[in-house]
Amino acid sequence: MPLKLILQLSARNLFRYPRRNGLLLLAIAFALAGATFTNALMRGWQYDMLDRAVENLVGHVKVQTEEYRDDPNMLHSFALPQGYQPEISGVAIAGWAPRINVPAVLLSERESRGVQLVGIDPQREDISFYADLNIVGENLSGTADGRIVLGQELARQLQTSVGRKVVVLAQGADGKNRERGFRVAGLFDAQAESLEKAVAFTGLATAQAYLGGSPQAGSEGLVTEISVLLADEPQRLEAVDSLGSEFPDKLVADWRTLQPQAAEMFALADMGIYIIFLFMMGGLAFGLVNTLIAAVMERVRELGMLRAIGMPRRVVLMQVVVESMLIMIVGIVLGLAAGILSVAALADGIDLSAFAEGIDAFGMSALLIPVLSTKDLVMFSSLSLLLGLVASIFPALRAVRITPLMAMNR
Amino acid sequence: MSENQNQTPVVRCRDVSRTYQKDAIPVHALRSVDLDVHAGEFVSLAGPSGSGKSTLLNIIGGLDEFDGGSVQVDGVELDGLSPAALSALRLEKIGFVFQAYNLLPVLTAQENVEFILQLQGIDKQQRRERAAQALDNLGLGELGERRPGELSGGQQQRVAIARAIVTRPVLLVADEPTANLDSATTEELLVLMARLNSEQGMTIVTATHDPMVMSHAERQVHLSDGRIDRDG
Repeated sequence: MPLKLILQLSARNLFRYPRRNGLLLLAIAFALAGATFTNALMRGWQYDMLDRAVENLVGHVKVQTEEYRDDPNMLHSFALPQGYQPEISGVAIAGWAPRINVPAVLLSERESRGVQLVGIDPQREDISFYADLNIVGENLSGTADGRIVLGQELARQLQTSVGRKVVVLAQGADGKNRERGFRVAGLFDAQAESLEKAVAFTGLATAQAYLGGSPQAGSEGLVTEISVLLADEPQRLEAVDSLGSEFPDKLVADWRTLQPQAAEMFALADMGIYIIFLFMMGGLAFGLVNTLIAAVMERVRELGMLRAIGMPRRVVLMQVVVESMLIMIVGIVLGLAAGILSVAALADGIDLSAFAEGIDAFGMSALLIPVLSTKDLVMFSSLSLLLGLVASIFPALRAVRITPLMAMNR
Repeated sequence: MSENQNQTPVVRCRDVSRTYQKDAIPVHALRSVDLDVHAGEFVSLAGPSGSGKSTLLNIIGGLDEFDGGSVQVDGVELDGLSPAALSALRLEKIGFVFQAYNLLPVLTAQENVEFILQLQGIDKQQRRERAAQALDNLGLGELGERRPGELSGGQQQRVAIARAIVTRPVLLVADEPTANLDSATTEELLVLMARLNSEQGMTIVTATHDPMVMSHAERQVHLSDGRIDRDG
């Protein structure tokens, strides 16, 4: 097949109807740019949701006791082995943190609220949202810090402030209720009220002493969870297997198991991306078919002449297909370039703080940073090419059916 | 009987008939036509509109089907050939000149001539040389880089002739080749075709209304109501 000839003819035919082909190119480029930009926003939201789910004290993988899942309190804590460091063959670990995470009641002079009391090692919490919190007052200085950090909204509800004392009431490892006074070290702003009123932090060693009693020999005290953040999220299942072998009597689960709602939203976003793309490109396909048919019908005489002088049908078919593919390729390149540039222009993120309360319900941050995925761009390009190919088949078959006599009789 | 007439004819039609359905009414375009065209002949098919001359030309060129009889071009029986085989026959053995020139507007004159050689799979160097030679022979050596839109009607038709003969076909089929030309250009073109016929021995069959074309042909075949009523 004279491929070079087909390419030459097809390339020149692109410039033959500059207005029509220009409009078609614009339509393809606009659809691709729109799909790329929308995709980047959705991926941005999706990854933000993932980060928030993971950073929301979950991590990619978590070790807990089976019983803790159903009844999260210190009765279902476990001893953290002395000098423990998670090591997973072939999986890079970005960080890990042991915690106590139990329900408690906070009392101020005026109000009381139910919260999650979380005992942390502040130096290890760069794997969670804790590291990014804006804290008014002071941060916890270390695991033995006996003060407490509250959310701004919780402090407002309790009518307390930095430097004042609150009382925490929680169940200890022995099943008995214990209470302890904590001075408020700082108030954090999470830009999400739900988080600010639900969690209070103190030092891990302080929480262990308060709720767990003296540590057993060979252990670093009781914890309710070990949270692990991986360098690469898709390796989470390998990490689950490995940690499962290390802690055979514990429940080791990934974030998708621990946060099924977030996992479903993540999957929904995936599907949404494909659906939006298919709608955008599907609409375009009709325009493409229509334009290509018009292009074929305008050239009946020429195509008939080509058939008369001996151009085989398959070459005529190839010519129409290659022509549409060339338009598609140029449109894809222009569209991707425009889409990437528009995303690059918003690389610092879109400030949604004006809608902070509303978007919190969707599990979004106030700053939406668009994310370009090479995999998605490759998929968009491939699907667009496939679409161009499919859209060209009908006009190409019309072209093949043109006979020299039809051409001469026009 | 001439030397040529002892050889197998380039075109051999026997008892050829063609019937169209027009508004469910059968139209007998050709009725039992016999025609031989020998190598080196310049034959003009003439006759009024509806006489069947264009139908006969199209059948000889492998562009139209026939209902009965036999048509051979260069010894190849056309009846029963697949569309692909017919395409190949047209590409290799027949050159076409159309009334409307039908050059590809996106290609230059040189490329329009080369194009058919490209379809034949001839290498680039040979294509260049043969196309340039064909254009040169037709007095278009200087215009090879021009596109059809930049050429006059007569020049475009000469490019079309160059395209038709560059493959060295056994038969040149020309359907009303001068219909769109003025009389001076028509005369130039006919002289050119006559020269191709006499100097290169090109076999030419043309369908025309034009008395000027008929006068340059060495043999006139007159059709009426789908039958040959005069030959010579």
